[in-house]
Amino acid sequence: MWHLSAVVEGVFAVALLTGAVLLWDRVPAWTIAALAAVQVVWAVVVPRWRYLVHRWETTETAVYTQTGWWARERRIAPMSRIQTVDYAEGPVARLFGLARVTITTASAAGAISIDGLDRDTARRLVDDLTLKADAVEGDAT
Amino acid sequence: MSDPPGPPDPSGPPHPSAAPAAPAPPDPPVPPTAPSDQGWQRLDARMLLVHPVRELVRFLPVLVGLLIAGSASGGPPWQLLGVAVPIVYGIFRYLTTRFRVADGRVELSRGLLSRRVTSTPVARVRTVDLTASLIHRLLGLTTLRIGTGLASSDDGESLDLDGLPVGRAHALRAQLLRAAPVGPAATAGGDGDAGGPHAAAPTTLATFDLRWLRFAPFTATGAVVVAATVGALSQVLDSLDLWERLDVGDLAVPSFLGIALLVVGALVVLAAASVLGYLVTNGGYRLTRAAGAWHVRRGLLTTRETSIDEGRLAGVALGEPLALRLAGGRHLQAIVTGVDRSESGSSTLVPPADAGVATRVAGELLGSAVPVDARLVGHGPRAARRRWTRALLGALPVVVAAVVLAVATGWWWPVVVAVTALAATAALAADRVAGLGHVLAEGYVVVRSGSLTRRREVLGAEHVIGWNLRDTWFQRRAGLTTLVATTAGGGGSVTAPDVPEPTAVALADDAVPGLVEQFLEPVAPRPSLSA
Repeated sequence: MWHLSAVVEGVFAVALLTGAVLLWDRVPAWTIAALAAVQVVWAVVVPRWRYLVHRWETTETAVYTQTGWWARERRIAPMSRIQTVDYAEGPVARLFGLARVTITTASAAGAISIDGLDRDTARRLVDDLTLKADAVEGDAT
Repeated sequence: MSDPPGPPDPSGPPHPSAAPAAPAPPDPPVPPTAPSDQGWQRLDARMLLVHPVRELVRFLPVLVGLLIAGSASGGPPWQLLGVAVPIVYGIFRYLTTRFRVADGRVELSRGLLSRRVTSTPVARVRTVDLTASLIHRLLGLTTLRIGTGLASSDDGESLDLDGLPVGRAHALRAQLLRAAPVGPAATAGGDGDAGGPHAAAPTTLATFDLRWLRFAPFTATGAVVVAATVGALSQVLDSLDLWERLDVGDLAVPSFLGIALLVVGALVVLAAASVLGYLVTNGGYRLTRAAGAWHVRRGLLTTRETSIDEGRLAGVALGEPLALRLAGGRHLQAIVTGVDRSESGSSTLVPPADAGVATRVAGELLGSAVPVDARLVGHGPRAARRRWTRALLGALPVVVAAVVLAVATGWWWPVVVAVTALAATAALAADRVAGLGHVLAEGYVVVRSGSLTRRREVLGAEHVIGWNLRDTWFQRRAGLTTLVATTAGGGGSVTAPDVPEPTAVALADDAVPGLVEQFLEPVAPRPSLSA
């Protein structure tokens, strides 16, 4: 999925530059080749790297994720502070039968998002988290 | 966002009959068809004077247009009608705005054509703000704003009771704050000794001191004003071709002197303006504690009174920006659960004031001076090196450009610029290194970072609702990570940049036992991802 997204973005960027070259004479044509090369490398390397980094784990009391590639981010949120659990399927993700689960807490900086889960796992995760979060009293702040 | 598990606030049922009966808490069942109509109160009748005046001001452009049109056509009655419209509007607003506190909920109903009823459980009230503009004060009125920590502080959603007699507003505030218990499991903290010895008589922690005025020019707003005005001035000079004329004058001494005088004069004027601004916003400042809440009162013309429920005070942020620090001042903000930092007006605890006052107040607010004064653990040489590399890399382009320019033209002044830039960044880096630190003291996570905008943030560990650890490739190579403690108030997070990895994990684990340790073994299962 990330490969496809990267490819789409790359094609778009190259198309944009081609348009720029066609419109202004100032922009040299070789930049297209350079950009295309960069985009190909990007589309091949980054999604793999990202896939290698991505992890997620839930326990009885907390959710833990690791995301990113160059800048890596690990997020931990206790079950007791979960506010909402979102389930979403993007257009590209639907092609592959994947979904994203987003878990928000009361903090503006604490949303945890697990990308690229297959649908069944994602649904089960949503149910599971909703039940666990529900079991805790208080207003989760 | 910060309100979910309870009944959602029906922030605006479009139909009148849907009034307050929405998902009511497990209270005695209220028949949904007949929302008990008793207990509704109007705002004070004196608002009949305030509203028309305000509406008049708001409609002023329209009115002027009407008047011009009227005088052009020569029909006086039309003009009178134009004046009457806002007054009638104000009267209708008064007649249609009602509120009540009943069944553990605060309800506000307003609007003539599209009626909206805003309702919130009293238990969710986090802050109560009393604001009185000059007109209000003349009439002995005040505006009561109820802060519930709603993520979308849209105008239509906020609970503003505009125009209550001061006495009634105080009574209502006391009622709301007393009735708002601290969240049982999540928010209950060690510092919740509400109803303790302070419960009855209000104790004063700090009051306004005229000597604080000397900090006004050093505050961020002062600096911004100065910078903006200098920029505007130079633009004016530019447009008048003054710069060129001065240059043509062969660096004549009088013109230099003139510029210097101008700059000094402008600075004096700006300093005076910032002092005046400080006086207007913070005059009459007073921080008291009464009935389980902190009350901040300030403002010379428009007075603001903010009350923060004690149990909602998650921590404090001691702001020590560079300029203020050099002048020996500090300011103090509250990190309040459910109150965004953008509502800075209601989170100021101490305006820029003597460092001693700010730290003393912080200590008293937290119940212990230790987290405020405690020596911080530095982040080690590798974090320091990162500060230095960053600063010097930032200065590099300037230096390179200056050197190239100097070599190319033979001028000497680019070298001066380069040296100045280097010295400034070096000083900045040294200050940033000195500022970096963290400590865990008496159940508070204390973090300090930054130089120009240095903040020492003290956050109660029980208010930490998650940890983020962020590291780029460079940081990983240096074994550092950026530790972010997320919370429900303030900026949403407290960030400690470039903590050595083991220290960061240890800190997170110590602050919130049992949360991080279960993930410490690197045996996270591979999720089923598709590539």
